Amino acid sequence: MQLPAAQVAVLEAASATDDRTVDAVASEVGESPTVVTRAAFELRDEGLLEVTEQVDESVSLTEEGETYREDGLPEVRLYRAAMDAGADEEAVEMGQLVGASGLAGPEVQIALSNFARKGYGHIDGGAVSADADAAPDTDEEATALDAIAAGDAETVDEDTLDALERRNLVVREERTVRSLLLTDAGVDAMMEGVNVAETVAQVTPELLTSGEWADVEFTEYNVEADAEAVTPARKHVLRQTADRVKDVLVGMGFQEMEGPHVDAEFWINDCLFMPQDHPARTHWDQFVLSNPSKMDDDDMPSELVDRVARAHREGVGEDGDGYHSPWTEDVARGLDLRGHTTSLSMRYLSGHAEGELEPPQRWFSVEKVYRNDTLDATHLLEFFQIEGWVMAEDLSVRDLMGTFTEFYEQFGITGIEFKPHYNPYTEPSFELFGRHPVTDELIEIGNSGIFRPEVLEPLGVDCEVMAWGLALERLAMLVTGAEDIRDLHGTLADLDFLRNAEVIY
Amino acid sequence: MPVVDVDPDELRQLASTERDDEELKRDLFDLGLEFEGETEDGEFQLEFAPDRLDRLSVEGVARSLRYQDGTDRGVYVPKTNDAEWVIEVDESVPDERPYVTGAIVRGLDMSQTKLDSLIQLQEKLHATMGRQRVKGAIGIHDLTMLKGSAERSSADRSSGQGPRDNAAREGAGKAISYRGITPDADTFVALDSDAELTPGEVLTDHPTGEQYADIVEEYERYPAIYDDIGLFSFPPVINGRRTEVDDESRDLFIELTGTDQWTIDKMCTILCYALDARGGRVEEVRVEYPEGHPSEQRDLLRPDLDVDEKTVTHARVEQLLGVELDESDVVDYLERAGLDAEPLERDGEPAYRVGIPPYRVDVLNPVDVVDDVGRAHGFNELSPRYPDVSTVGGRHETARLESAARDALVGSGFEDMLDFHMTSERDCFDRMGLDIPDELAPDAPLGQRPPVTIAEPYSEDYTVVRTWALPSLLTVLENNTHRAYPQNLAEIGLAAHVDEREETKAAERRTVAAVLARTDAGYEDAKARLQALAGAFGKALETPATTHPSFIEGRTAAVELDGERVGVVGEVHPRVLVEHDLELPVAAFEFDLSALE
Repeated sequence: MQLPAAQVAVLEAASATDDRTVDAVASEVGESPTVVTRAAFELRDEGLLEVTEQVDESVSLTEEGETYREDGLPEVRLYRAAMDAGADEEAVEMGQLVGASGLAGPEVQIALSNFARKGYGHIDGGAVSADADAAPDTDEEATALDAIAAGDAETVDEDTLDALERRNLVVREERTVRSLLLTDAGVDAMMEGVNVAETVAQVTPELLTSGEWADVEFTEYNVEADAEAVTPARKHVLRQTADRVKDVLVGMGFQEMEGPHVDAEFWINDCLFMPQDHPARTHWDQFVLSNPSKMDDDDMPSELVDRVARAHREGVGEDGDGYHSPWTEDVARGLDLRGHTTSLSMRYLSGHAEGELEPPQRWFSVEKVYRNDTLDATHLLEFFQIEGWVMAEDLSVRDLMGTFTEFYEQFGITGIEFKPHYNPYTEPSFELFGRHPVTDELIEIGNSGIFRPEVLEPLGVDCEVMAWGLALERLAMLVTGAEDIRDLHGTLADLDFLRNAEVIY
Repeated sequence: MPVVDVDPDELRQLASTERDDEELKRDLFDLGLEFEGETEDGEFQLEFAPDRLDRLSVEGVARSLRYQDGTDRGVYVPKTNDAEWVIEVDESVPDERPYVTGAIVRGLDMSQTKLDSLIQLQEKLHATMGRQRVKGAIGIHDLTMLKGSAERSSADRSSGQGPRDNAAREGAGKAISYRGITPDADTFVALDSDAELTPGEVLTDHPTGEQYADIVEEYERYPAIYDDIGLFSFPPVINGRRTEVDDESRDLFIELTGTDQWTIDKMCTILCYALDARGGRVEEVRVEYPEGHPSEQRDLLRPDLDVDEKTVTHARVEQLLGVELDESDVVDYLERAGLDAEPLERDGEPAYRVGIPPYRVDVLNPVDVVDDVGRAHGFNELSPRYPDVSTVGGRHETARLESAARDALVGSGFEDMLDFHMTSERDCFDRMGLDIPDELAPDAPLGQRPPVTIAEPYSEDYTVVRTWALPSLLTVLENNTHRAYPQNLAEIGLAAHVDEREETKAAERRTVAAVLARTDAGYEDAKARLQALAGAFGKALETPATTHPSFIEGRTAAVELDGERVGVVGEVHPRVLVEHDLELPVAAFEFDLSALE
């Protein structure tokens, strides 16, 4: 018979007449008790070995128990001090006895409670009187501590053991002891001869081509052991979120826009009907460039510039009013890092990016925008803006609500609320609020609206366009639970955070 | 967004309501006024979007509540008394600040609360419409302290120093004058001061003067307002102490100066509505501009309380809101928004002529009227519907290429990075051993191109747009020396440089950068991966030897894809490594994504 090496060793060490414990066998064959136990059970399953189990109780002293065994139980020490002070005749002040007995800290309380329980005397108003007839020398608990220390726990009666356990002076532990005995079949097998089966560590090309693999056994591994840590190459977690957003939008029929990060204020602000003296158009809020600083006159779309200028000055339509703010083309030619990707929407809607667009259209981008702000846990100087718009005849506020409800539901954000808001470029405008998927808090998740006629008419669009925007990082923080936006994006990134971030799909 | 502090008890009284605090907060939220917190004195701090600037005071907020409740309906215009005072504008008025307007409000039972509210409204208007006093600035004076002569002599007029003679003008008995004076032409005692100072000295010696000096210090002549006694206001900087308003003032003279007539007129109107709500009686003031002044009209009667009109069709309302409405409901919503509504027919279709109260500054187009209907109806009453419009979605070609290249990099064992496009000249050039060029040179090493530069950055760490991405990856390595190696990092992202030939004068490109950082990283590791990437996109890779200040000489090659030179590959120079606190070798490459097209 061929068996694995460990099983052969255990068979050889086991006896047909005397039970041998796993520990004894293990030390004889030089294997760990775990290996021997596993081999023993496998042999039992083969019917070669009988395994019997016995539950042993062991009792040992706790640290506190050991201290009391050496120094005496606190109540006994108190009794002795009381007797020395003559408390069997006249009550003695507690304070005096504490000093004499050397009790300290919690020992005093322990001494007092057990003193009375064991009938060593009485305590009345801080004075101790002792019973001269008490016999602390034969205190059962003190005797038991000695017996347990000497390994004679079985001589201690059960009640005393319970009492000591309650006082946390001893611990009782149960332990299963397995004993091995060869069965008749085991003896027969040994008589016939048992050999160690050859095991193979590695599957090799030779093993496979020679056909030898059919006759060998493979060495068992500890398949539960820890493996070496590997750092997987992976897409950045914010890219994964962006990909997810793009998938959703493409699925909803949106096409992707592309366009310049450095752009003229004309495309960034003026087309959006932002007055040139709007507070957000100062260098405090946007990244104005010193080099390059202005677009050339020739590169400005002159007819569109005229129409936009007229919208700013005079408004649009019979009843329309313009702004009472200065407007010059010089300001419009100023170059900035774009503060939003709505500049792309303007380039597409005007026909400058893809030619004239006929309704219906849906377009999006998930791209970088730049804000002159202070960098902190929730603000970045540059972040990704999700921008999307829908162009169609007769769009209403309800279509806007339907589109965004659908979009956010894809990310588990439901119960969208639309708070009427003001933007210079949309009317009506709404801030979007949704329930945090985990905390259920109401949080702002975007800004939206229907483009004003003063935006659309100069662009040559004569149907409705609704648009919305939100920060991708905000969505990512909601979805990943990240608390510091700087971990998600930028050169301050912690590789460990990125390596351990959960996959977004 | 503007924030206004409002005493809830005052608000309840002015709005004739007995709501408790919580009900108030909820209904204010529905109006678009968000409760942000309380001041130490228990006033509500309400934040709102900067369209309804008529709500910058407790009186305005109360007015909105009254309309919301239906306590008031339709347009209200305060009654005014005829003008007794004139603001005469002198030819010397500063060209930079030619416009003035004003009003008188009499019979105010002033108290400290009312005064505080008025001062708050003044400050909030300065901060918003007034563009920090540049576009419009308000001065409020105790009328009883002003002296305007009923009989004015022609001698004064010819001297150019005193009020003009216009005794001939009907109904106008008293006058003040708005003019320009040289910085040291006169003196007065400014508010919060005891000293007689010239306007020039106010700008240097008075705290308020210092604060607003930059508005006027370039002016040749400073704005100044005179009555018979003399100089009493130095707009937009500070008023004189003589006409200071206190809690016992009953009659006020309001003057506003600025760069735009409409803007200061609207600011004045909002002030008059607030004081009317406090029981004041508005009295007109006549403004007289001289010949040659840029104003469209010579004479104005102010405050301007004209009701503007917009016409909106019923169909437009229904189309934008996406619901069918009864005409009577639309009229009801408009009146509850504080507007007047008169049904009429336009081209055979039902429409409304809508009256806009003069304190509204946000109604430019009929679409703004539709928004008011929507708010009164309640936008959240509308049920969302998915638009029944079919379009075909898709990714942009460049984005698809970027995505495929990123997948290939991750497949070759690179951790994908996402770094800021903005960086500093120090990180982008100095620490990489590159010069910062002024001009675009064709043979310059990768990255050594004139950077797109921010005019006034907050932070010295972010002053330019990166010209290449390798510095970003080295910075990530620098910040992660305590993390496990190998650190094989790659990034595909934007890089840009100044190029006058481009429409936006900046050439923007997607760049592919990668670093291999581990104890035995070498040139071959970088080239091997570059080769795999090129192969995956069907490009032939050649790596002729080259030099680059960031790399070790003799271990640097140009990246040539299909014969075109598009980047660099090599072992990063120890000088650059040590600069980034790195204690192990780094092999790297970077090239233009478009080369993989």
